[in-house]
Amino acid sequence: MHDLTQDALAHELGVTRQTILAIEKGKYDPSLDLAFKIARYFKVSIEDVFTFEEIQ
Amino acid sequence: MKQNTFYILAGIIGLIEVGAFWLSVRYMIPYLITVVFIVGVVLLYLAWRRISDRQVDERVVLINQKAGMATFMVFWVIFFAISLGSAVIGLGAPPLPHFPRPPADISGGINKSLKPFGDGPGILNESIKPPDDGLIRLGHFGYLQLALLFLMFFLYVGFRIYYARKYGEWENDEEQD
Repeated sequence: MHDLTQDALAHELGVTRQTILAIEKGKYDPSLDLAFKIARYFKVSIEDVFTFEEIQ
Repeated sequence: MKQNTFYILAGIIGLIEVGAFWLSVRYMIPYLITVVFIVGVVLLYLAWRRISDRQVDERVVLINQKAGMATFMVFWVIFFAISLGSAVIGLGAPPLPHFPRPPADISGGINKSLKPFGDGPGILNESIKPPDDGLIRLGHFGYLQLALLFLMFFLYVGFRIYYARKYGEWENDEEQD
């Protein structure tokens, strides 16, 4: 949709590509700061990118 | 400074540390390795700050924090247990160091053990004793500390790998296929 590589997104957000990959795979929950940066980069709300799942 | 240059520098400093450790043991200068190690760490820190292409983000910081904290907790328990054992040895030893006492029989005013001339062997001076092996056994304590150092290192490496895997360090990536 955005024709964007993980590497380019990581560079834009100031993180490593492994971090973007880990977020995509659900291995790492980003900080609130990074979550907002991602949402703002794609010009969507944070709920459109991330959903909160309560751990039982 | 590039990240790879830093790794080369770290390797060189590591070799110097090993050399300093060998010299310390060879010439029995414990302060040498202590000073060289601290200087080496300071140099590495200064070099690390000058890395231009350093890639440290919040996930890497989290992995380092978790690994460091887990290492600290496990190491603290082991160190405490070993220190308790050392305390038992210390409390079981004589409270203060004592010096050899003069022989009980000094009525003649002459130390009879000093008998360079005469027909029989002199009376052994009880104040002269062979060196106690306590110092040697104290030296063996260094092996225990060496083992603790290795334990600390391997604990950190192990936890670092564990948390790196947990937070997706080596996940398969379709973009690289």
